[in-house]
Amino acid sequence: MPEPVLAVERFTYSYPSSAVPALDDVSLSLDPGSFTVVTGASGCGKSTLLRAACGLVPHFHGGEVSGELFAGGMSVRQHGPSDLAEVCGTLLQDPETQVVMNGVRAEIALALEHRGEPQGAVARAVEEASLALGVGHLLDRGVDTLSGGELQRVALAGAIAHRPRLLLLDEPASQLDPVAGDELVSLLRRLNEEWDVAVLVAEHRLERCLAGADRVVALDRGRVACDAAPPEFLAWAAAEDRDDLLTPAARLFKQAGMGPLPASVKQARVLLRGAGLAPAAGGPADDYSGDDAPASARRPMRARLRPRWRSRSAGHAALSLHGVWLELEDGGAILRGVDFAIAPGERVALMGRNGAGKSTLLRVARGLVEPTRGDVRRAGEVALLLQNPGDYLIHERAGDETDAAGLAAAGLEGRASANPRDLSGGERQRLALEVALGTSAPAAVLLDEPTRGMDWPRRRALAERLRALAVAGAGVVVATHDSGFAAEVADRVVLMGQGVVIADGPAAEVLVGGWHFATEVARVLDGAGGALTPEEGALVIERELVG
Amino acid sequence: MSGGFVPVYRRRPSALHAARAGAGAGFCLALALVGVVYEHPLVLLAALVAVVAAALAADVGGELRRAARLAVPLALLVAAINPIVSQQGQTVLVRGWEILGRRFDVTLEALAYGGVAALRLLVVVFALALLSAAVDPDELLRLFRRVSYRSALTAALATRLVPVLARDASRMSDAARCRPQPPGRSAVARAALAGALDRAVDVAASLEVRGYARARRPARTRRPWSRHDLRLATVALALVTVAIAARALGAGSFTPYPRLELSAGPAEALLCAALPALALAPFAGRSARLGVAHA
Repeated sequence: MPEPVLAVERFTYSYPSSAVPALDDVSLSLDPGSFTVVTGASGCGKSTLLRAACGLVPHFHGGEVSGELFAGGMSVRQHGPSDLAEVCGTLLQDPETQVVMNGVRAEIALALEHRGEPQGAVARAVEEASLALGVGHLLDRGVDTLSGGELQRVALAGAIAHRPRLLLLDEPASQLDPVAGDELVSLLRRLNEEWDVAVLVAEHRLERCLAGADRVVALDRGRVACDAAPPEFLAWAAAEDRDDLLTPAARLFKQAGMGPLPASVKQARVLLRGAGLAPAAGGPADDYSGDDAPASARRPMRARLRPRWRSRSAGHAALSLHGVWLELEDGGAILRGVDFAIAPGERVALMGRNGAGKSTLLRVARGLVEPTRGDVRRAGEVALLLQNPGDYLIHERAGDETDAAGLAAAGLEGRASANPRDLSGGERQRLALEVALGTSAPAAVLLDEPTRGMDWPRRRALAERLRALAVAGAGVVVATHDSGFAAEVADRVVLMGQGVVIADGPAAEVLVGGWHFATEVARVLDGAGGALTPEEGALVIERELVG
Repeated sequence: MSGGFVPVYRRRPSALHAARAGAGAGFCLALALVGVVYEHPLVLLAALVAVVAAALAADVGGELRRAARLAVPLALLVAAINPIVSQQGQTVLVRGWEILGRRFDVTLEALAYGGVAALRLLVVVFALALLSAAVDPDELLRLFRRVSYRSALTAALATRLVPVLARDASRMSDAARCRPQPPGRSAVARAALAGALDRAVDVAASLEVRGYARARRPARTRRPWSRHDLRLATVALALVTVAIAARALGAGSFTPYPRLELSAGPAEALLCAALPALALAPFAGRSARLGVAHA
């Protein structure tokens, strides 16, 4: 038996001035070359476990510890994060604060230079790490010129350059679009397989990494609730009615009363075929475009959707943009003649890769940025919730941020005197939304990536709030990378690429017909019936496939 | 859409960018030295031309313009204040006013000296802006790390955090504008400050997990001198030698008070011609262009 690279023995930890332990009697062991996902609801202790594994807990954060934690044979009681850095490569949530130097090359070299490695060894390690992560072409760039995905990969290259035996990652894909997120997971799997690096990833969205994982550790209020291989973990979550821990494909199977629950799209398809329920390949039921479909049905998405789709906003719009351009001084453009409108009560998901122009479109719509050309019309107030809800909270008391009605809408009655910084992530986001909404009913409500780092129950609660706003007459636009959330909240999806609208249509068409932007359920069912969510998918299985 | 006053380093195909940080920094500091050593307006003007010419040759004219947004108004302020506050000089241009029994006149000498001070400021600021825009800050800090590792890394962090914090503040300001009743600037500034402390804690955690506490002095880098290194270092040495030797020999003397006196002979003419010529020397000729990577 190889010596475990991480051994946690009855480890309990409480943050300073906290009566409740963040980790409670945790025991687990990670073998070299293993790929483990740690999951659970917000605040369950995922990040704390990672911070303990790299020594930040207790050496950086303070607090009380009992039990033992060994990383690479070093006890966290005797060794601080700098000692453990010999063994661990750590990537915390926000890559912006992970990056220290000005240039990419210097950034990747930093950990090696801390160790006083000779220059030749540093140069070689930088070269190898950058090639492994596909950032070789970025070595001479400044870190401030990188996109979010590039920055994440550079930060990861910096974490692996010294060849750690254990890689600790805290929601590494939370800021990435689906394409970059999938690429990152593939890279992690490659590092794991080719370099024998043990990987421990904290992640809410299991559908991204469950397929590649050897093992899942579910935490519940600081305790290990389940520690098993993915199939057994899914069976446990289903038996415990922990739908928040199931992937969409697993929820689909659970809703349809099928088993065993699949850990990946591929496995789900195999299981469906095995049950004689193989879905027909193609798009939505009313727009079939499989191989044997007529040529007209196999047109590219833009051609297929744009001319056909007529939004309700064609009449009176809550918000409309006509031929909007946003050009840069150096000649480039972020928005290139965008036409977009939303009707009162309509719910639109704005999707696309990082840098597609989604956030800028919302800023222009709200009036934070003036377009260089084009016209923006607003039927009334436009509320915008930007990516970081904490930016809205500038007072010492929650009660100073909004009035009593706003606090009640945010579910914070009786907490007016709480400091917004002490609220949980979900509470802060709800409060920030009420702050942005104000007291009057806005004509349109815009949200930029509101589900980043959010667990399933919080996403559901937000979707309900947005539906309520739409029922009250507001046009709702959500810029998101989360196709599952888009399917849940939107009746229309606008896909952007390089500053232009490349698809605009009903959610059931756009989220089924794509690849990276399709929901997991749509991929499992190959678009059958236009089903996007597990609930819709279960109905399709029951009504169409079985029938 | 870019803003700010601080020039940003970007790798470009120029001899100055291609040279090692020590040689590049030496060249820029030698140009700044002229602004420190001399008060002669023609010499300062020549030094200013030299710095701007070097910046254009290094393709960082835009970055110099960015620095000029702060430096030029500051220089104009200096030029305007000196004649008001300085009561030296014999050539009265404007009979001034009397405050608390003291008379305030504007003299030609004070006016000229204000202009000289403004020129000196521009030469020094532009030379440092050239350094900031064309010399790799990471490589430069690596040089200092052999002397004091943690101080150099702290300096690196500070330079890196400035734009990050500026972005944070800008984001918070945008969020404040999104509120139906935008709050006052002081409330936003207080929140931004609190956010900066959170950022600092995050960065400290990142450094810890990358072995900062056990950081050792980095190994010495042995890198052969390229022709760009040699040219830049030679020119920097020549600039320092010419500036100091000419000053020691009495060239470029300037006395503002009580009456303006400035030497204007062959030595000054030679010095004024030498400065731009030396500043452009590293960029001139075929060998300066060959071997420079074009990104």
